[in-house]
Amino acid sequence: MNKHAHRKKITITFFLFVLMFLVVLVRLVYLMVWRSDYYSQKATQLHERERNIKAARGRILDRNGTVLADNKTVCTVSVIYNQIEEPETVIEMLSRELELSREFVEKRVKKYSSMERIKSNVEKETGDRIREYDMAGVKVDEDYKRYYPYDTLASKVLGFTGGDNQGILGLEVKYEEYLKGVPGQILTMTDAKGVEVEREGERRLEPIAGKDLYISLDRNIQAYSEQLARQAMATKEADGVSIIAMNPQNGEIYAMVNVPEFNLNDPFLLPEGIETEGLTEQQKQDVLNGIWRNGCINDTYEPGSTFKIITAAAGLEEGVVTPSSSFSCPGFIIVDDRKIRCHKTTGHGAEDFVHATMNSCNPVFITVGLRLGVDKYYQYFEQLGLKQKTGIDLPGEAATIMHKKENMGNVELATVSFGQSFQITPIQLLTTAASIINGGNRITPHFGVKVVDSGDGTETILEYPVQTGIVSAETSALMREILEKVVSEGGGKNGQVEGYRIGGKTATSQTLPRGSGKYISSFVGFAPADDPQIIAIAIIRHPKGVYYGGQIAAPVIRQLFENILPYLGIKEYNQE
Amino acid sequence: MATSVKRRRKEQTEYFFDYSLLFVVLFLLGFGLIMIYSASSYCATEDFGDPAHYLKKQLVASILGLIAMIFVANIPYHFWKMFYGVGYIVAAILICLVKTPLGVKSHGATRWIGIPGTGFNLQPAEVAKICVILFLSVMVCKLGKKIKTWGGFFFMVLSPLPIAGLIYVLTKNLSSALIIMGIAVLMVFVASPDYKKFIVMGTAVVAIGSIAVYLMATGVITSFRSDRITAWLNPESDAQDKGFQTLQALYAIGSGGVWGKGLGQSMQKLSFIPESQNDMIFSIICEELGLFGAIAIMLMFILLIWRMTVIANNAPDLFGAMLVVGVIGHIAIQAVLNVAVVTNTIPNTGISLPFISYGGSSVIFLLIEIGLVLSVAKRIQLKEM
Repeated sequence: MNKHAHRKKITITFFLFVLMFLVVLVRLVYLMVWRSDYYSQKATQLHERERNIKAARGRILDRNGTVLADNKTVCTVSVIYNQIEEPETVIEMLSRELELSREFVEKRVKKYSSMERIKSNVEKETGDRIREYDMAGVKVDEDYKRYYPYDTLASKVLGFTGGDNQGILGLEVKYEEYLKGVPGQILTMTDAKGVEVEREGERRLEPIAGKDLYISLDRNIQAYSEQLARQAMATKEADGVSIIAMNPQNGEIYAMVNVPEFNLNDPFLLPEGIETEGLTEQQKQDVLNGIWRNGCINDTYEPGSTFKIITAAAGLEEGVVTPSSSFSCPGFIIVDDRKIRCHKTTGHGAEDFVHATMNSCNPVFITVGLRLGVDKYYQYFEQLGLKQKTGIDLPGEAATIMHKKENMGNVELATVSFGQSFQITPIQLLTTAASIINGGNRITPHFGVKVVDSGDGTETILEYPVQTGIVSAETSALMREILEKVVSEGGGKNGQVEGYRIGGKTATSQTLPRGSGKYISSFVGFAPADDPQIIAIAIIRHPKGVYYGGQIAAPVIRQLFENILPYLGIKEYNQE
Repeated sequence: MATSVKRRRKEQTEYFFDYSLLFVVLFLLGFGLIMIYSASSYCATEDFGDPAHYLKKQLVASILGLIAMIFVANIPYHFWKMFYGVGYIVAAILICLVKTPLGVKSHGATRWIGIPGTGFNLQPAEVAKICVILFLSVMVCKLGKKIKTWGGFFFMVLSPLPIAGLIYVLTKNLSSALIIMGIAVLMVFVASPDYKKFIVMGTAVVAIGSIAVYLMATGVITSFRSDRITAWLNPESDAQDKGFQTLQALYAIGSGGVWGKGLGQSMQKLSFIPESQNDMIFSIICEELGLFGAIAIMLMFILLIWRMTVIANNAPDLFGAMLVVGVIGHIAIQAVLNVAVVTNTIPNTGISLPFISYGGSSVIFLLIEIGLVLSVAKRIQLKEM
């Protein structure tokens, strides 16, 4: 009996163990079938060492296909701790070839990590030399570095890229998503200590190159504008000169200059003459930020008399003034309890509205502003798009600084009417002027025209909003006529170009604080006056000596037009 | 008389030798050597400059073990009956020797004693297991019907406790202590005709265990083992320390999938799993041979246990049956627990996979146990089968 009892128990024992095996088997099936993907992925992450391959960044090309931003091959030098056989030789060689301090290299060579980067953006020749030493544990990977063939050309527009080829400034930032591409990877299987496992080989994920950006900028117009700006800056000992040239019909910008420009291939170089001794990193960065600043977009100023274009357009549109409306200027005007002087203190006497514009007569424009009243004036200010940003495709556009409507009295209205007591950016002024003379369509100023995939050639045309009818076509035509008169007979005489019909307006505004003796002289010109194909503005900041816009800024635009009108294929009127 | 003589002759010619058991053991042994080479060669090359370093040592132990097995298989098992007391004492003394200068320390625990002049190390816990099996088998026979009583039960369970206690206290080897106690419980379960008390106690142990785990997991009880419980329930929470080995094993098992990466293709053995030839070797089997290979190995173990079950059921006497039951317990408990640990079904504790994991003492004494089983098998009268 006893014997049979334990036999039964032995059989039970067997089945108990089978049951236990089944339990762990279920667990195994769960792990190896259901959870297999999860753990495989985790394991692969653990085993693979990634090395990124930079994607070639898209190029930036001007309207004629000239390459303005390109890539050149450079090398990244790294060390792999586990593979280094002679650390001292490696340290010595790398610090010599890369011109780095011994301590810097030593720290990285002796750091226990799977892969340590010593230096990136090493010249290809240097990289090739290092590769020829053929030292164990030293890796030289080729990648791309941004290269700007024209150094300073349109530096504040194009911008530059950082060590990882990411856009830092200008169009490089704005179009980052198109330009950057998708980096590739070299995946190597390693053991737990980071040693490569040869039998597994390498897996490469090829990088996808960034797309090429075609911009409306014209290298020749830009270069010539820069030359003119530098000349003006030198002769007038000015603090800075800005020039923008744009197509008033569609907002394509041909040139945007802010001298002094900086070298895009060495953007972190502090200019000579600046004391770098004793500057903190923050202060150095502030200096650099100042150098990189695009005054046409990032800074606001009081536009002065060029803003009379806006006041005139609002007055004509609203019907409170016509070209033949007659005025009388005694040299001043009393607004509420304030006496505001005309720049011609003896007064312009009797004049119609066209002549008042030609004379840039402040009392007349104050009168027009007052006839409109705060509400209407403010309405036009907004209708013309002056309250919003222009939407230009560059980062950091500054907003308009304007009185609040409820704080605006007649005195404020009077000063705004001739372009003072508020601030806008140069691009805002140019865009608004362009929109008034182009038939009344508020265009968006821009550089980006199209994005082209260099691989398959697909093009993406970039489009920009246009707001039609901000002023009527009639008002626009009247404004073109009046502004042509300003150049042909009035204060903008220095903007005349032989054989072309030019329209324009000058401005001379004193910078705050008043009485500092510092001025901003500017001139807005467009051509041909009857069918504008180009509009340009020149702004000279703080010129020495003669500071009248009509005398110093208008000639800059004249020289520009003399050269670029034939270049753009715009015919002289007598040849049509 | 004539018939009696004839019968005796027949016994001589048709004595039973369990070839299938031997085949399974040899298969597991050979497979184990292949897997030890596969799992250890990379690290062995790095550490010793010889990819076959561990393979060679294990091969020597396996050959020694096989010689011992053949030797034991050819000695009638009743011969060993007289050594039950000596075995018990020798096991206790050997365990105590780890605290003498003979003790060999490794991985923070002294679990081995060096055999002077040979360069080989012996793990007393492995000796203790076979000694306890012998001791308890003899005790079952001595107790006879008293085994049914509570006294008999407690004697069976408490008598190996000093050995298990010494293993736990002196060598910090909880798993070996638990295996010895597991063997004891299994043997008393088989020997006793009673069911009720085992069901009640089994349920109680499971319940108490679950509550303890729950309390440790929720942080009500904190003992030095509770972080192991946390690492068990969520190995990814402590991936760098306590959960490290478990997580690495799970990566290996999971990445094996159904068909595995192929023999020799494991990535995890490249020092991701420390000493993957030891307790975690099953995870490398899973990674290289997949679910398919894992099931094959588990089937081999079930077949092994099945053969031994048949032998135990047909053993000529209770002593022989109990010896085989003890060996079944030893091998089955270790195999199941090892797979359970590797798959993180239970908390991590060091249990080797019989015949496959690297470890000389383990394989030698396992083969001696198989020798005992074969010896029992030889005494089976075929007529009675």
